[in-house]
Amino acid sequence: MEPQNIRDKKDVAVEEKVHLIVFKLGNEEYGVRIDQVKEVTITPEITRMPKTPSFIKGVSNIRGDIIAIMDLEERFKIERPSGWHAQHTYTLVMEAKEFTMGFIVREVPQSLTLPVSSIDKAPSFIQDININENFIEGIGKYDDRLIIVLDIYKILTSDEISQLKS
Amino acid sequence: MKGREQEYREIFIAEALEYYDALSRHISDLEKAPQDEQVLAEIFRLLHNLKANAKAIGFITIADVSHKLETAFGMIRNKELNFSDEVVTVLFDGIDMLGELITSIDSPKEVEPSPALLRNLDIIINSLSDNSAELSKVQKYYNSKNLSLSDLIYIQIKKLDHLLNLVGELIIDRDRIFSISKELDNDDLKNVSAHLYRITEELQYSVMDARLVNVGSLFNKFPRIVRDIAVAESKEINLDIIGQDIQIDRNILQIITDSLLHLMRNAISHGIEKADVRKKAKKSPQGNITLSAQNDRDTVILRLIDDGKGIDQQEVKRAIVQRGFLSADAVNDLRETEVLSYLFEPGFSLAKEVTEVSGRGVGLDVVKNAIDSIGGRIRVDSKKGEGTTFTLFLPTSIAVKGALLCQVEENFYAIPLMHTDSVVALPTAELHEVGDLLVADINSETITIVSLKELFNTDISEYSVRKNDLESDVQNIIIVTYNNRKLGLIVDKLLRQQDIVIKALSRPVNTIEIYAGVTLLGSGKVCLVLDVAAITRYFIARR
Amino acid sequence: MEITDKKRILIVDDSFYMRTMLKNMLLDAGYDVVGEAPDGKTALQMAREKVPDLVTLDVILPDNTGLDVLKGIKQDNPDMKVVIVSAVGQEVIMTEAAEYGALHYIIKPFSEDKVLEALSNAFKEEE
Repeated sequence: MEPQNIRDKKDVAVEEKVHLIVFKLGNEEYGVRIDQVKEVTITPEITRMPKTPSFIKGVSNIRGDIIAIMDLEERFKIERPSGWHAQHTYTLVMEAKEFTMGFIVREVPQSLTLPVSSIDKAPSFIQDININENFIEGIGKYDDRLIIVLDIYKILTSDEISQLKS
Repeated sequence: MKGREQEYREIFIAEALEYYDALSRHISDLEKAPQDEQVLAEIFRLLHNLKANAKAIGFITIADVSHKLETAFGMIRNKELNFSDEVVTVLFDGIDMLGELITSIDSPKEVEPSPALLRNLDIIINSLSDNSAELSKVQKYYNSKNLSLSDLIYIQIKKLDHLLNLVGELIIDRDRIFSISKELDNDDLKNVSAHLYRITEELQYSVMDARLVNVGSLFNKFPRIVRDIAVAESKEINLDIIGQDIQIDRNILQIITDSLLHLMRNAISHGIEKADVRKKAKKSPQGNITLSAQNDRDTVILRLIDDGKGIDQQEVKRAIVQRGFLSADAVNDLRETEVLSYLFEPGFSLAKEVTEVSGRGVGLDVVKNAIDSIGGRIRVDSKKGEGTTFTLFLPTSIAVKGALLCQVEENFYAIPLMHTDSVVALPTAELHEVGDLLVADINSETITIVSLKELFNTDISEYSVRKNDLESDVQNIIIVTYNNRKLGLIVDKLLRQQDIVIKALSRPVNTIEIYAGVTLLGSGKVCLVLDVAAITRYFIARR
Repeated sequence: MEITDKKRILIVDDSFYMRTMLKNMLLDAGYDVVGEAPDGKTALQMAREKVPDLVTLDVILPDNTGLDVLKGIKQDNPDMKVVIVSAVGQEVIMTEAAEYGALHYIIKPFSEDKVLEALSNAFKEEE
């Protein structure tokens, strides 16, 4: 029992951290918890899927798994910065419970570790953002950067998605 | 044909061999620890089962030897017999003899138990005296038969399911390699991939074959069932069964079991008339029902035919209007097969009273759902006064399906062959505008024609197509059929027929009704599989 | 898909051969076989989970004896019917089984008629 106690005490002493994958949508930075990210890949060919909302770009073959691809900027009506050109985009393959979806991002996503205490669970200025507050887990601060942490499961199970029936 | 007797025999032998192996093992353990009660109890149990099974199947010699050995071990357990060296030898000999008898069941040469051994066994179980001098030497002979393993194994269907899924994945990769090798134009790679192609094909068929069972394993249950229902309904039924040896995937047979039972109940309680009614109609007093199976390429066709009173089209039409499915005018335009297809609509049942065994709220819609779920098809044909036939078109195997590939805009789509009727190239001039829809007269049938491009690009409730909307002078149309109803789908291009492995779409996009799943083509391209049932349902409801 | 109110049976026997035969007989006769247990532990678990109307119980089982299973079943659910299936030579056990509430027997090797008779007798009690 002794070593267990020691370890517990140590955990309390060391500050709890959260590991995020951070990417840009519009001009803001967004993050998702790394345990929900299955992989990051260059966006493969997307097959359009008629009868889905326009923010679902279609389905892709990612290593034999067929995954629907969503454009988060379109989903949240975030304006794209003008004059933006790139050879290709990246896809974050997200997994939340039995839901799977790829999110398109325009720049290489970064990995970032923040202390949990630096994430504000109930930010007051959320109204300024286009995203339904339910989809936001919190706002993280890192140096002078501000990172909006998204709740993937809620995004994947939101009404707009679950009512995909024609 | 592999009948039930043969199946029992195989099971008996396989299990008996297992018992024999376990007995040989345990008796060696017992020699080292003669007091081990657990081992004794286990030996006793194995011999007990062997005896009971052998008696049941009629292998009297095996039953007899097992019984003697069981008695001996029972006495050892009760300390009525010492586990002495002499006794051990006799018991070893006895178990070897059992092995000999079991392995020779299927050999032409009949093996008789050695009389000396039988006498020895009798001596140890009957004479409570310890006079082992009477025991005679039994000649021992070892040969490979004593060591042989069973030719039959049992395997969980789950393991076969897994194997088939893996083969499905393998086929997708194989097709990919095949098309890459064509692009690269390297002879070595081409040879290897051609070989890979053949091997995976053989592998696929072997795995599918391992899952096949005889339709008879289900059909053979029906004589008894029919008799019972007939008795409950006070009807006389003559049942003919045809094609028991047709083979089909075990899971498919499992899924349609309840459906077939339900159709059979309907046939007897609603189809076949009572003897006096039949006599008046100049029919044999006995009702005749035929249950048949036949192969048609990748499809198994099951038919349930009765010579009962048939389905009254007028009555069905009345019910269609009464239940608000269609207006009285619209009903009159329906073709005969279309009228009958309403029987499969949820909640549609013609039975006026619920008899003892049928009805109970479960209608043909449930039967239809079960058959849809495995990609099958059902149709009903009936003539009033002459009888009714239900025909089930079932895939032989679940995972791999034939499909027609077509192109609409930049995308490829697959339509399972199970649902395709024919392909026509029709001059646009021959299409007619009826309301918001197009119809065409194809082989003297009026068929609703749907432009997939419009369907894909407009909200389904706003779907409306005029002839002017169509670009070319000739339209490529795939006639699909679902529930006896036909629908024409306009596509940009017809590609080819191909075997595909349908994967389910993952959540959350699995709820979009017009897709039955997705498949990967050899090129790695994603190809959506259209759900003909959903599309047809929508347009039929609309008309 | 529930079509009828078929009686639901659990088969307990350590021999696959016996279970197969018994299952085929019961299915042919219109019973619903809700499970097959090869040993006592599985038997008790299945009896709890599937709550069959009737259990056919072999008395010689690999882990514990059939009588322990009988006791267990009757403890959990005194109304669950148990029909003992046993080979000849186990008459002693049957007397004991009767004390625990098993009133019907099938003697191995069984004929179809005997099995069906024993089951229908067991079900008759409730009427």
